Amino acid sequence: MFLGFSENFYHLYDNLLFEYSFNSLILVLGVSFIVTIIGVTTAWFVTFFNFSGKKVFQWALILPLAVPPYLLAYVFTEFFDYSGTANNFMRGLLSSESDIVFFPNIRTIYGAIAVFSFTLYPYVYMVARVAFMNISPSLIEASKLLGKNSISTFFNLLIPLIRPAIIAGIALVAMETLSDFGAVQHFAIPTFTTGIFRTWTGLYDLNTALQLSTILLTVVFCFFAIEKNSRNKIRYDNSTTLKNLYKPIQLKKFHNVAAFLICLVPVFVGFFLPVLELINWSSQIENIFSSKAIVAASNTLYVSMIATVLICLITLIINFIVRSFGMSQLINDILSLGYAVPGLILAVGITKMFTILDSLLINFDTFITGSILGLVLAYIIKTYAISNNVLNSAYTSIPLSLDESAKTLGSGRLSILRSIHIPMLKTGLFTSFLLVMAELIKELPATLILRPFNFDTLAVSVYLLASEERMFEAAFPGLMIIIFGLIPIYFLNKLILSKNE
Amino acid sequence: MNRTNKFLDIKNIKLSFDNKDLEIMVLRNLSLSVKEGDFIAITGASGSGKTSLLRSICGLESPKEGQIILDNSIMFNKEISIPTEQRNIGLVIQEKVLFPHMNTRQNIEFGISKRNDKNELSNEIMEKLKIQQLSEKYPYQLSGGESQRVALARSIVMKPKLLLLDEPFSGLDTELKTTIYPEIKSILNENKITCLMVTHDLTEVKALADKLFNLESGKLVEI
Repeated sequence: MFLGFSENFYHLYDNLLFEYSFNSLILVLGVSFIVTIIGVTTAWFVTFFNFSGKKVFQWALILPLAVPPYLLAYVFTEFFDYSGTANNFMRGLLSSESDIVFFPNIRTIYGAIAVFSFTLYPYVYMVARVAFMNISPSLIEASKLLGKNSISTFFNLLIPLIRPAIIAGIALVAMETLSDFGAVQHFAIPTFTTGIFRTWTGLYDLNTALQLSTILLTVVFCFFAIEKNSRNKIRYDNSTTLKNLYKPIQLKKFHNVAAFLICLVPVFVGFFLPVLELINWSSQIENIFSSKAIVAASNTLYVSMIATVLICLITLIINFIVRSFGMSQLINDILSLGYAVPGLILAVGITKMFTILDSLLINFDTFITGSILGLVLAYIIKTYAISNNVLNSAYTSIPLSLDESAKTLGSGRLSILRSIHIPMLKTGLFTSFLLVMAELIKELPATLILRPFNFDTLAVSVYLLASEERMFEAAFPGLMIIIFGLIPIYFLNKLILSKNE
Repeated sequence: MNRTNKFLDIKNIKLSFDNKDLEIMVLRNLSLSVKEGDFIAITGASGSGKTSLLRSICGLESPKEGQIILDNSIMFNKEISIPTEQRNIGLVIQEKVLFPHMNTRQNIEFGISKRNDKNELSNEIMEKLKIQQLSEKYPYQLSGGESQRVALARSIVMKPKLLLLDEPFSGLDTELKTTIYPEIKSILNENKITCLMVTHDLTEVKALADKLFNLESGKLVEI
């Protein structure tokens, strides 16, 4: 920003900046609106009512988290294409002419809103569900005694009570939407991320790309601040509530069917539709276990494993130091900011930094740049917050009196870490490992830019194959991303359900 | 006052809870008749089913058998179960159940939000219960006694046919109780509200109740 603006920047400012801003705004508003409706309604149904399939929906509603938006974008494009499954199915059903198109073009901003909504609504669903479960049943009973039925209680009591949680969920969704690169790039929608990518790879202007990044980063940090602020309010609200023993209401007939369908649609569109379509595509490829797919899978596991182990270690060490020396949590808060930085911006920043380092250290300009170091660094910055969330709360559940007792028995700090903290943090470390791993396996923009030459991961393979319209070949690596993503979701579900019990 | 003998008529109520494979019987063929405007106190050992009886009357629990009639309308029998929100029965309990995100006025006006005269009604009840100065305060800013007065105001402003009180004053100190009893008695009389109160406190019974029942082995016995 402080280096001055180049001609390219003025060109972007005059011709494209408004379009980037407008499209990004429409995306964020549209997605926020839909995820709120889907997330809050489904959370309300599974928390306060009994209906057919509720036990399955309780966990199935989180499944779309395993599907990255770019993957659903690829599936939607093919599925609703002129010769795609959806149109063929309708033609078969109505025995109509082969040139009739039943579904509109999905590669529009509205299609992108649908893609983001069906993959990101679980963020709102999860926070709304936990917030609903934390509402004292006495409050709901009080509302009924004051003459309000379930719908009136929902609008007049429940929604205002969980508003901070909803805002926190929406802020997360907005950050993810603004940070996305794969889906908007595939749908050819000019947004900030695609603009940054084009400025850099098309105009070869890293400084202007960085200046665009700064604008986007400012907006993203605003959402980050909103999310943080709302989370503090959630803690405050929950501190006054009682344990939830609310008896869900049994829905019958029409209401039962309606609840079933309302919960089925998002799970089907966000998870089962892409999985079934990817399986369908994979089955049409002769050799799905091609050497390229195997190499991409092993590259993915290799780099994400190294980064995940490092992140868990760094988080453990920092939290240990903070605890042992009675330091403030400020360092964790600062390091957690990296989560809000879009992968593409991280990649731009790291490339710039490594280019400078390379030119300073040795007279060979791509020693560090283009190595695995940049990728691992980006991963660490991006996922520190995830790892810290888990380990920090696991650490706070270990009473300080245990450390004090160990000290009186002659243990030093490292001995306390080895013999008390680590054994007690096993579950936290394992959860942190899984969550970070799942996030990294599907990470696309930073990986695409920072990966070493000829080093394809699953996400990059899917992106490259999809950009060449080789969807069937992209299906198998896509399925592998989803399978890896399902592992931490299983644990997340267990966490939410145990909270309910 | 033209008082019906059976304003609240409870006949042979049976209530049980399932605990794993065990069925725990809480109320056994319990019957009770209450005149309009009466103040009935119910005592009994802990776990004897006093709270369950109140929750059954207002529809928060569903008895297995029996009949509940209020003001000649069936609230519950084998075929009919009127939803809680349509029974026009108030319930004030010991726990703090004020809506935490609303101030005192908003809490009181919650049940009458659609009425045009909600402001006048809430002012009137706040004045009667001497809580006007709390109207802009939020529940976390209120003491135990203040919270209970607001909860009471919130129920009474609805002009319920029947008011159920489940040990509502147990958290208050003796001095406050002695001030609050006559005020409540006069408000209930003024509004002709029939009242059923569960309590352990005999001073409370003497100050407020017209009749006293003891609940033992799932049945009511007048004392």
